[in-house]
Amino acid sequence: MEFYTQALSNVLTFWPLLAMIGSTLLGVFIGALPGLNPVMAIALLLPLTYSMDPLVALAMVAGIYNGSMYGGAIPAILLRIPGTPASIATTFDGFPMADKGEASKALKIACWSSAVGGIVSAIALMTMGPLLARVTLFFGPAEYFWIAIFGMASVGVMVGSDPIKGILAAVLGLLIGTMGIDSLSGQARFTFGQTWLLGGLDLIVVLVGLYALPPVLQLAEKCDLKGLSAAQLKLTNTPFAPGEIRSLIPTWIRSSGIGIGVGILPGAGGNIAAFLSYNAAKNASDDPDSFGKGNPQGVAAAECGNNADNAASMIPALALGIPGNVVAALVLSALTIHGLQPGPQLFHQNPILVGGFMMEMLITSLLIFLLGGAVATRVFAQFQRLPGVLLVPSILILMCVGVYVINGRPIDLWIMLLAGIAGYFLEKVNVPLAPIILGMILGPMAEQSVRRALLISRGDASELLTRPISATLAVATVLMVAWPLIKAVRRKRALATKNE
Amino acid sequence: MERRQDIALGLIFVGFGIAAAWMATSYSGAGGTYPMVLGVILTLLGGTVALRAVRKGSNEARVLADTPAKMITAVGIAAIYVALVVPLGFYTSSFLLMLALPITLGFRQGVYALIVALVFMTVVYLVFSVLLEKPLPKEALAPLLGFGG
Repeated sequence: MEFYTQALSNVLTFWPLLAMIGSTLLGVFIGALPGLNPVMAIALLLPLTYSMDPLVALAMVAGIYNGSMYGGAIPAILLRIPGTPASIATTFDGFPMADKGEASKALKIACWSSAVGGIVSAIALMTMGPLLARVTLFFGPAEYFWIAIFGMASVGVMVGSDPIKGILAAVLGLLIGTMGIDSLSGQARFTFGQTWLLGGLDLIVVLVGLYALPPVLQLAEKCDLKGLSAAQLKLTNTPFAPGEIRSLIPTWIRSSGIGIGVGILPGAGGNIAAFLSYNAAKNASDDPDSFGKGNPQGVAAAECGNNADNAASMIPALALGIPGNVVAALVLSALTIHGLQPGPQLFHQNPILVGGFMMEMLITSLLIFLLGGAVATRVFAQFQRLPGVLLVPSILILMCVGVYVINGRPIDLWIMLLAGIAGYFLEKVNVPLAPIILGMILGPMAEQSVRRALLISRGDASELLTRPISATLAVATVLMVAWPLIKAVRRKRALATKNE
Repeated sequence: MERRQDIALGLIFVGFGIAAAWMATSYSGAGGTYPMVLGVILTLLGGTVALRAVRKGSNEARVLADTPAKMITAVGIAAIYVALVVPLGFYTSSFLLMLALPITLGFRQGVYALIVALVFMTVVYLVFSVLLEKPLPKEALAPLLGFGG
């Protein structure tokens, strides 16, 4: 408790507080603009946080993350265009409500549900994170190695539609992570005689390219020359019926639980949490047929579910170094920028910083209540009048300034551009990008751990499998990788039986 | 075709994997073993993707770019911008990009684009140069106009 009191006193100072308020508003704005997403925004933000206090930098990440998850509901409700992938389920009942003249009510429900989901999720992070971190006190190099491999395998298998391509992406990330001077032997690897490669490829440069350029190119392809008209964004106020808000409480409780569960699972994202919560609300309803026709419970379930995923996805990221989703991977990158090693030792070495970040996740969720109201929503909705084609150069400029200030090297701009073009095509051929970044983050930890474990055991590789925790993690990794294969065999057998 | 795309993708990764494993053989000790193992795994995974596509890949086309002309235009202008950032300076090249890219993509309201460019570049200047004091490529035109550059 003392740990959180100290973290709270650090967070409630001028700069972290200002960063949380500003970034929550920025997050709502980003979420409200289709084409922009929290991953892109955080990737653009990270290079600018190098010189900042880590708590201020993490406050901005927390604000953008929570704010944008709610912001995505604005175009989902008003236009049936999900602002973020996690708000697809919000369109099912949000847009029919807007169609019936209840847009303002739907936006209020989305705002409150997002805030509730985010708050419950942050409380889960604050209670479960330290407990999980305590288990890691028993970990040695062999366990750290398997944690890194398990994290990459699970994200590789679960993100995207093709597990083999997911694992291939993770291995590519691991290989990119080996570029530069080997920290244990001091020899240069894959540097091609270039001195600028001695430090390896900068994670943030690759990350900005991979995550920010593909959406920019898609915006250019879409070529929106007009933006929306004022009439399309008109809102009318509709009052709540007596007991209507109270009737949402069971949905909030159910969806928060689902969101937290999905968030803890590596690889599953806010969109899955929203869909599962929506389906659960529909199944629990006395009137399931009203779903999809403007039922407020549908909006509440989807928004509460996708925001409850946010902080929960940080539980494995902070305690084990395994990010639950791409934003969690970006948080790990933010920690790396500030010289902190993501992984099991983080809680033990930097408890106040980790505690501060958890507090920031809680406070930015509370801020959605205050800042995401109807007035703010009306203001943010107006940004959709801006033609999308004008956003393309604006984002490109922000990408370049962000990347250039890291090392002041023009070559980084070219690396970013190449990474972005590669990312654009890799996504088109179903190769997920998250495992590449995860491989780059966890690769050094995996390599150093396996080499330390082998040094301790004097080259005996069985050391990696004979300790109980490492053996369990190894089995879990094998099962995780084999699971899609088992599923495919089962499906084949079922099909054969059916045909007989 | 999806089949051809996956065969090409698989073979590209086989190439990367073999090259990485071969280069890693010149590194001594465990510092070489680790990337070599990764290279071999990448080769095997790339081979699996290619073989799987040969055996049962779909012949349906997978769209790589919805409007290739606009995508190539955006990439081309982005590349020109990156090439000009250092010789022209950050603000000059960025201002030109703000005008050139929308117009090339078909936006015909020049005054609107100019106003957005001016407002956006002012905000960028205030945030990055005044507030955050980030060092950006110097302006080539500034000395000619009598500024410090």
